[in-house]
Amino acid sequence: MRWITLLWRIGTVALAIGLALLVAWLIPSSAEYPYRMSRHIEPEQYMTGGLEAYSPQNGLQISVNATDEVRVYLLGVSSLELDNWKTLLREAYPDSESPDSESPDWVRPDMEIFIEFYTVPLLFFHEAYPEETHLSLNDSQTWDMMWDVAVLDKGLQTHPEIILWDPPPGSAFSHELFPADVLNIMAVVANPSSNTVEVDVEIKEVLAVAPKDRIIFPAQLLISIGIGLTIVWLVSRSKGKFEKALSDRG
Amino acid sequence: MRKGRPFLEIFTYALDEDYRFPILEIFAFLFALGTFVFADFAGGYDRTGETMAYSLVNTLCEFPLMFIFVVLILKNVAYGLGGDLDRGVMQTLFSYPLKRRHILTARLLSGLGIAVLLFLGIQIFGLFLLAPDTLATYSSTVFLTYAAHLCSPALLLAGLLLLLTLRLKRGGLALIIGVILFLAGLIFSGEVTYIAYATDSDVILKVWAVINPNTALQAYYYETGVSLFASESWAPSFSEVLLYLGAGYLIVAVLFIVGYIYFDRRLEI
Repeated sequence: MRWITLLWRIGTVALAIGLALLVAWLIPSSAEYPYRMSRHIEPEQYMTGGLEAYSPQNGLQISVNATDEVRVYLLGVSSLELDNWKTLLREAYPDSESPDSESPDWVRPDMEIFIEFYTVPLLFFHEAYPEETHLSLNDSQTWDMMWDVAVLDKGLQTHPEIILWDPPPGSAFSHELFPADVLNIMAVVANPSSNTVEVDVEIKEVLAVAPKDRIIFPAQLLISIGIGLTIVWLVSRSKGKFEKALSDRG
Repeated sequence: MRKGRPFLEIFTYALDEDYRFPILEIFAFLFALGTFVFADFAGGYDRTGETMAYSLVNTLCEFPLMFIFVVLILKNVAYGLGGDLDRGVMQTLFSYPLKRRHILTARLLSGLGIAVLLFLGIQIFGLFLLAPDTLATYSSTVFLTYAAHLCSPALLLAGLLLLLTLRLKRGGLALIIGVILFLAGLIFSGEVTYIAYATDSDVILKVWAVINPNTALQAYYYETGVSLFASESWAPSFSEVLLYLGAGYLIVAVLFIVGYIYFDRRLEI
């Protein structure tokens, strides 16, 4: 009987934890701060959107609509890794030209800012063309090489660990993602076709107590175990009472 | 009768007394929900790696959740053990063919051991669901942060209350003193850094870090991340942090050993 009582208490604790997870699951999440971007992507080129920090309680909702088939990725990089890559790029391009070297300093976009905003594409470019040590951002050929789909593919092959979402190619996408750690996440849309494609991207920040897809299964499992063990205890208790009543009568 | 049998009898009795239905369930619910509600990743955005993991666990071991946990263990130690002494149950327990220290071990295993298991088990399970990568990558930081928070206030207060309960032979008063000590420690933790600033000396921080090793851990991790208040004036090395943690656990061990000796040799019922 003691073992049954112990199992019952384990069951009620499991039930309590399961209910807590259920409550966390039921607390509504809110999608805020929409970031929209409409662009056309040249044939065999790709574009990136945003590089923001997200956490397990602060995910993102992305929707992409394109006029033709495109490839979409969500890439996630830790702050530490991102800092390492920035250092590597600063060392790789020490004396690169800014887009308009003839302009006065105050209108000249700084290479440092470029590295800050385009760390991942620049790293992919550096890895694809390691011999290019003098980066000229005002050269359209360099620019086209940098945003080439082949550069993206090579970069993704080298760093498959940063791919958080890689759906099959299509023209309409929608996805919600909560990273398993604090990560800097960026959206990538690639146009592998030979036609120019118009793309609309919308990214929203989703605030939640917990990632719903990760807690619903444990909640269901724990509640089921809890109910199961409680039923075993109830049956055993009623059986005991019934037997006692019978012996009292006898 | 085998030696383990009476020990198990007392342990089961203590479990039954400490966690009457639905006490255990309410605490389990609060710990589980609290892990999700109070987890704060926002503090980790500007930080990286270990500092972020420390910051996350720190948010889970601060006021509301730690207070609930401390209330549970203080209730078990002060009210449970004190109740046994007050109501004369301890005399019955002494009639078991067991040494006194084993009776106390069975009582503490229920009151402290199960509570610590419940608190840590649920929080680590919650962290695993919430941020599995953080938990896997920085497991040593997570372990160290929990060890520091368990040492003080949880186990330190439990040790102090054990002595108080045995001396007073009443749990109610000891429980009130325990709650007051917890709140006083909380207030002093906030003030100690300002005192260090005002006096321009880190001696008080170091003394406080022996009693509360999380102070050393905080100074160690935040020194490498975003600089915060007194950590600028005192940045211990990792081995120093371990030393402070060891010193903290040594104090806890001394309190419990004194409690055991008193219970074994001096307690008169």
